[in-house]
Amino acid sequence: MSEHMIWLIPGLPLIAFLVNGLVIRPFVKSDIPRISGYIGIAAIMGSLILSILAGLDVFDAPDHRIEFVGYSLINITNFSLTLNMGILLDPLTALMLIVVSSVSLMVLIYSQGYMSGDANYTRYFAFISLFASSMLGLVIANNLLILFVFWELVGISSYLLIGFWYNRPAAAAAAKKAFIVTRIGDLGFLIAILFIFNQIGTLDIAAIHENVNTHVLSGAALTWAALGIFAGAAGKSAQFPLHVWLPDAMEGPTPVSALIHAATMVAAGVFLVARFFFMFEESADALRVVAIIGAITAVAAALLGVVMFDIKRVLAYSTISQLGYMMMALGVGAYGAAIFHLFNHAFFKALLFLGSGSVNHATGTFDMRQMGGLRRYMPWTTATFIIGTLSLSGIPPFAGFWSKDEILSDAFHVGTSIGDIVFWCGLIGAGLTAFYMMRATLLTFFGDYKGGAKDEHGSHEHPHESPWVMVFPMILLAIPSTLSWLVNTPWSHDLSHFLGAHSIKFNPTVAALSIGVASLGFIAAYGGYRASWYSPERISKSIGPIYTFISRKYYMDELYESIFVKNVLYRGIVTGLAYLDTRFVDRIINNIGWFGRNIGEAFKLAQTGHTQAAAAVLSLGLLTIYLAFFAYRDFIMGGNS
Amino acid sequence: MTDIPILTILVFLPAVGALAILLMGRTNSSVRSIAATTVLLNFALSIGLWIAFDGSANHAGAIDGVTYQADGLNFVERFSWISRIGAEYFLGVDGLSMPLVVLTNLLSVAAIFASWRVENRAREYFIWLLILQTSVLGVFTSLDFLLFFLFWELELIPMYMLISVWGTGRHEYSAMKFLLFTLGAGAALLIALLVLFFSNGSFDMVGLSHLGASGALESSILAGPAICGLLLFAFAIKLPIVPLHTWLPDAHTDAPTAVSIMLAGVLLKMGGYGLLRLNIGLFPDVMESWGFALSILAAISVIYGALITLKQTDLKRLVAFSSVSHMGLVTLGVASMNQLGVAGASLQMFTHGTITGLLFLLVGIVYDKAHTRHIPDLGGIAQRMPFTAAVFVIAGAASLGLPATSGFVAEITVFLGGFEAWKIATIVSAIGIVLAAGYILWTLERVLFGPPNQHFANLTDVKAIDAFPMILLTVAIIGIGIYPTIILNILNPSIASLLGS
Repeated sequence: MSEHMIWLIPGLPLIAFLVNGLVIRPFVKSDIPRISGYIGIAAIMGSLILSILAGLDVFDAPDHRIEFVGYSLINITNFSLTLNMGILLDPLTALMLIVVSSVSLMVLIYSQGYMSGDANYTRYFAFISLFASSMLGLVIANNLLILFVFWELVGISSYLLIGFWYNRPAAAAAAKKAFIVTRIGDLGFLIAILFIFNQIGTLDIAAIHENVNTHVLSGAALTWAALGIFAGAAGKSAQFPLHVWLPDAMEGPTPVSALIHAATMVAAGVFLVARFFFMFEESADALRVVAIIGAITAVAAALLGVVMFDIKRVLAYSTISQLGYMMMALGVGAYGAAIFHLFNHAFFKALLFLGSGSVNHATGTFDMRQMGGLRRYMPWTTATFIIGTLSLSGIPPFAGFWSKDEILSDAFHVGTSIGDIVFWCGLIGAGLTAFYMMRATLLTFFGDYKGGAKDEHGSHEHPHESPWVMVFPMILLAIPSTLSWLVNTPWSHDLSHFLGAHSIKFNPTVAALSIGVASLGFIAAYGGYRASWYSPERISKSIGPIYTFISRKYYMDELYESIFVKNVLYRGIVTGLAYLDTRFVDRIINNIGWFGRNIGEAFKLAQTGHTQAAAAVLSLGLLTIYLAFFAYRDFIMGGNS
Repeated sequence: MTDIPILTILVFLPAVGALAILLMGRTNSSVRSIAATTVLLNFALSIGLWIAFDGSANHAGAIDGVTYQADGLNFVERFSWISRIGAEYFLGVDGLSMPLVVLTNLLSVAAIFASWRVENRAREYFIWLLILQTSVLGVFTSLDFLLFFLFWELELIPMYMLISVWGTGRHEYSAMKFLLFTLGAGAALLIALLVLFFSNGSFDMVGLSHLGASGALESSILAGPAICGLLLFAFAIKLPIVPLHTWLPDAHTDAPTAVSIMLAGVLLKMGGYGLLRLNIGLFPDVMESWGFALSILAAISVIYGALITLKQTDLKRLVAFSSVSHMGLVTLGVASMNQLGVAGASLQMFTHGTITGLLFLLVGIVYDKAHTRHIPDLGGIAQRMPFTAAVFVIAGAASLGLPATSGFVAEITVFLGGFEAWKIATIVSAIGIVLAAGYILWTLERVLFGPPNQHFANLTDVKAIDAFPMILLTVAIIGIGIYPTIILNILNPSIASLLGS
């Protein structure tokens, strides 16, 4: 496939964005709004087809690698900066292209139903096309700086989509929070870019690889560069302690949550670490950091998922936790397992989010305490959601089991203390995951219906199944949620081979342990939320302070927002400096009499009428200048003669 | 081509327009038409010059009996002016000035259209605005130091008048403050000019810079570093560099919209341009040795400016303080003294002009419609004014350095160059991108988003006449952001020769 055809993969959604944003929205009247949806869907369908073709090309290519040097963006030799906008296609890219475009396609189809009737339907499809375009551009970039460009564009798309309903203060605040928190990570990423350029004078990914292989970039320099990149990845992939933006991002429309805050954008961080894995591999310290952060995130976020009552927040914390799994897999060197999990997770998490959106469509709420019994009204949603639950909880033969098992087996076999930490954290996380997913499923779909939202938006007394445009993508996503593991079965390891990663033998002990833990989680949830063996409320009361600590999300929002941003930064530093600026710097500068005369006096002149004052000060100024000149001239003349 | 005094036409066309208004502008609408025609013609002319610009052109001259070759100098007009002291009428543009000439004309278009509803003494107002344009263009095209100085001082009068007569708030105080600060800069500049003249007998900036590059200049005058310091002081006021910035927020806040656009957009660039043309041009070694100190000042400006921006509740003052932060990056680029950094500084000047010009334009529109600039009173206007809101978001994104806007290209180039020279200062400055995201997005949230405000229930979106300059600037911002080569190709040869490589 030619270079131009590959550029069309991000290009088509970009065109859809431009057409929707610059033509349809301003000029086409709202009686045919559906056209913008069709444009977006057609574009992403084109991207999907081209992505599959590109994937096949990669499969056939020698070394599974295709590179185009591309267009010169900045190429001025004596600037010592050559910036080419080229393409790097390798197995990782091929996989990401297919994941992003296929999940995007499902989400866009679903959005036609979910967003129908929204006054800003066209704006929605414009933004989501922009997002898809940025994400697809990100994965094919062959240059670190170009990758960063798309990375930031993904960030702004996310900002626009989280804040889509900008009339809601919570949405506007969440959008801002997401951008700023991820930007803190991006600061590390940016510094890594500067550092790498400083060290080796190029930002071309293949060239960086070459420099790492030949140990031009090595030692502490390499570790710092890798950690900077990981900071960016931790922001985008919502890793502890930069995870706080992701649950708030649920203020965006639910299909957005499904697409970017579950399946694709947050995977960009994992992708980034995977893309530069050759750097991490050379630095044990960097890998250790990745593993530890991933492990902490996997468990801490899963624990938060247990106490949430908002179904989308349960899923949000689940996403953070699963991204932690991918990171910790990378941290113990299990590259293949991490990417395998990313691949599976994209499908079942998108499915679960679309399911939560479908439930919301019927009940008007995301609060699971107002749901219950929906299986009687929404059979398709229930069935597909349960498939997603089983997959995420790691029950065989569903997809999630196989990749999670591979991560655990890898950690188990590393034999280092880090490997053990990762293994046990993974196992604990697996139990928690099964618990919160079963809890969510039981609260939402079983028991008696609690009546849905009780607000002015009409009655939700009689929930009903969502329209087919919403159900159909869920059914389509249920298929890979069940079967996507077939790309990397324990007996053939096709994906690992394709990626060039090592593969690990299936370990029955690990598998039995993980199934056992997941089953325990299921049983515990069943006992608490269906069979009434115990009362979850009573337990949460009896562990009062601990429960509060968890349900307040470890007080991290308070720590960041109330303590750091509001008090330390704003009330302390910013207010102090502003005071200093007006009361001190301004006055001192005002009072320096460089004209031999207090400027304060001159300001009084200004009150008498502008023209005269101007003339007076101008002549005064000029007079002073000439006096200074003559004084100085004598000095010079004396000096010269 | 050489027969047509094209730069003279460029510089004085606005003055001719001002004269035409004086003679023929009987009604406010005829005044506006004349002004708009003038700036549009001049803008088209500068685009033509940009296209015709030839980076390989060069100009031969002599100073102190030594001949020199000036690379990349275009459209030169040079003849004796005051022969007794050797002052010349010497105009020309190279890669340093060409983008700034285009920027001046671009923002003048925006300024004239932003002034469409000025009814109070409109004739005088537009005359002053056009004279301002002539004086700034004069600064950017003059290569004779005396001529440069005259244009530099000339700029004061229209600025003073525009702020003190058509301003708001404490406009007379602010106008006077602006005047005194700039006069202070002018005094320093004059002393430097005279010392240079008396030691070399020439006002030829190109020639002086030629002497500077070979080191001959520093040995020929008594106190090279002192002169370099005077120039730095003058330009640091104009740029501004903290702590000499205190005139800026007052002047911006109280100036009418169009004047804020010109002030932030092009007048600050006179400082940056001076740093490049005179400080680096004449005293490269001194600047090299001061690089570290300058980088510290740059980092302080970036962070200090950004932090104080966070505190502002007046929308216009907020944009003004953000300029202090963004111009700190120009200083950082200059401090790096390498090609990337200096190219970044030049790019940042151009790009800050377009972005901040657009932001002031938007603030003016919001103020016009909502009758307040007090941020806590605003909010929820996106629904009423979707076009304005969309442009506001784009301008904000550019200001916080989002890729695909010119803001990113400039920032990354400054950072890449800066990091080569001064790692810590660059890392500290890079924190500015997080702070910028903070103040920009917080502002967007408080001004545009949130539930529709009942005070603004009757707001309507802008008309075509307001939309025109908004679209023009947006196209410039995104155009440079996607294809920076268009401007880098012009900058490159001149910066290479400036830094002597």
